[in-house]
Amino acid sequence: MYQYTEVDQKLVDERVEQYRDQTRRYLAGELPDEEFRALRLMNGLYIQRQAPMLRVAIPYGLMSSTQLRKMAEIARTYDRGYGHFTTRTNIQYNWPTLESVPDILAELAKVQMHAIQTSGNCIRNTTTDPYAGVIASELEDPRPWCEIIRQWSTLHPEFAYLPRKFKIAVTGGPEDRAASQVHDIGLHLVKNEQGEVGFEVLVGGGLGRTPVIGKQIRPFLEGRDLLSYLEAILRVYNLNGRRDNKYKARIKILVNAMGIDTFREQVEAEWAHIRESDLRLSQSEIDTVKAQFTPPAYEAPAADSALDAQLAENETFRIWYERNTVEHKVEGYRIVVVSLKPYLQAPGDITDIQMEAVADLADRFSFGEIRATHHQNLVLADVKQSDLLEVWKILDGNSLARPNIGTLTDMIVCPGFDFCSLANAKTLNIAEQINEKFEHVDYLHDIGDVRLNMSGCINACAHHHVGHIGILGVDKKGEDWYQFTLGGSSEADASLGKVLGKSIAADEVANTIEKILLAYIDLRESEAESFLDVVRRAGLNPFKEAVYAADH
Amino acid sequence: MPLIIDRTLVAEDKWTTVAEDQAIPADGAIILPLAQWLEHHDALKGREVGVQVNGDDNLDQVLALNGQVELIVVDIPAFTDGRGFSIARLLRRAGYAGQLRAVGDVTRDRLAHLERCGFDAMLVPDDRFESETLNAFDEVSVRYQGGASVTRPAYPQS
Repeated sequence: MYQYTEVDQKLVDERVEQYRDQTRRYLAGELPDEEFRALRLMNGLYIQRQAPMLRVAIPYGLMSSTQLRKMAEIARTYDRGYGHFTTRTNIQYNWPTLESVPDILAELAKVQMHAIQTSGNCIRNTTTDPYAGVIASELEDPRPWCEIIRQWSTLHPEFAYLPRKFKIAVTGGPEDRAASQVHDIGLHLVKNEQGEVGFEVLVGGGLGRTPVIGKQIRPFLEGRDLLSYLEAILRVYNLNGRRDNKYKARIKILVNAMGIDTFREQVEAEWAHIRESDLRLSQSEIDTVKAQFTPPAYEAPAADSALDAQLAENETFRIWYERNTVEHKVEGYRIVVVSLKPYLQAPGDITDIQMEAVADLADRFSFGEIRATHHQNLVLADVKQSDLLEVWKILDGNSLARPNIGTLTDMIVCPGFDFCSLANAKTLNIAEQINEKFEHVDYLHDIGDVRLNMSGCINACAHHHVGHIGILGVDKKGEDWYQFTLGGSSEADASLGKVLGKSIAADEVANTIEKILLAYIDLRESEAESFLDVVRRAGLNPFKEAVYAADH
Repeated sequence: MPLIIDRTLVAEDKWTTVAEDQAIPADGAIILPLAQWLEHHDALKGREVGVQVNGDDNLDQVLALNGQVELIVVDIPAFTDGRGFSIARLLRRAGYAGQLRAVGDVTRDRLAHLERCGFDAMLVPDDRFESETLNAFDEVSVRYQGGASVTRPAYPQS
């Protein structure tokens, strides 16, 4: 993975001291609240319902065991012994004090980490495929490009005060595990007719109050032109995006208002000025970064793996293997997904002890690296098949092996009203209700992949619009109610879910999900027809009937 | 108000800002709003004239000031309004070499960004200026991006 140069380290170190001084000036009354607010947000610090919340950047979701141990140490020293992984593949601490944040940032800087631009109206952490570099269908590893974007976007002097936040995702192949179509900019590595690899560029996707699928602005962009093209898009947005209403300030609103063709014309006109500038990446610059993402030293596959026998004699292990591991591009290896969705725990939460256990596993079995996923899980990307049983035992001993990846209980859930000052409704209690309802339901595994995303407010941090089943918490006269959407997807076939009907009372959410799933089983033509396929084929009416019929 | 030019506090400012509804003074160096300048620039030939613009002005008209005036002032109505950064970049790219001055909600924690985008002059409100404010420029001494004066990104250093 990328190792800091002196330049990188100096930037992060100086940034820590800059923020320390900003905090000092704020506490001394020299910095108005509103200004400090913008500065602390650009360092990942929110003031939440209970306490400040610090969001630490994990660039494109990739971290070393050393870094994960540091996160554990921070959780123990400055927080209450746990952290929370987010859909932007960052980690959040819910209980630090405002005064301790400069020290936390200094600790992070020791292991090449920071919290720069994890919030605020600036370019946020670039995300990518958690299986980058290890999945066979990939055209090219997207992470070097993410690192190039990370550097370009970090402390960019022109784009620190955009109309609104700005998120970029990069995918390396035909599958989309980064929700790239609902990002401000989605970059897809593709091959053109000449066989060259470059980017398809999408712009203006997003969720929140106005969910929009991104539109193609350029079918093919040469890699060397990546930064000039991004800069052209950002400049057009910075100059023209709305600043009078924060709910209409994202680039998706601008693109829709202008129309994609006019927007493209403006971007291309700006790009013509800067395409040949020093923003053009030289091959040696690209190669320097790519050299930091070379594959690890894989061993030749063992001739007679004991795996088949282990799977045959241990059913629990087999179920985990089938659900929580993924085919690796190198024979003899598997990708292991570490479930952060244990029974009755807040999705995405992880304790300091669990972090250390995963860090140890990474060191022993996966070349010392860990990835965070958009679905709020972790990944050990390079585990030898012959080590899987041992890895599973240790994960299981740490409550990290619930075999639920891709199933209903692998929910994306925001922290909701319990923690977040934006939320309208609680989410964690509903997640528990769903866990309790479905823990012992036999058909859950037969149902296959169901993506359930639940947000506690319209800001859609848990991406409910693109869940196969989306749940949005709403406040009705002081009570929590839940609006269902069906048929969303954030993958290559991205779509926005449609509202099922009137919202559901809090204590009926799990029962409603059951009705929906039973209707699906009823409707499907075979086990091969997924939940999403059925919703798309049959439409919402049979599901409406199943959920609301009793009300008639 | 304290005026910083090239990172230095300057005592003298010869420029007088003329408000939209104010008569143009007979002599001296004056700063006019863009609309006034567009209306009167023929009559002002030979005088020292600067023009004040903001993010709502027509960008083509703003860029056309290059070569026409000695001073361009960009009004930043709120520190969160980042349009001024892009306006500065575009003016410098167009070849504008005169003084580029940021006024309005211009305070310490934006000064380094303003400078990197091409501003050489910043007018800071009285109650927000201390001698220590001038330290803001070098808090982060390394950078990944080019800017108005240094165009190379950091990669060649790595």
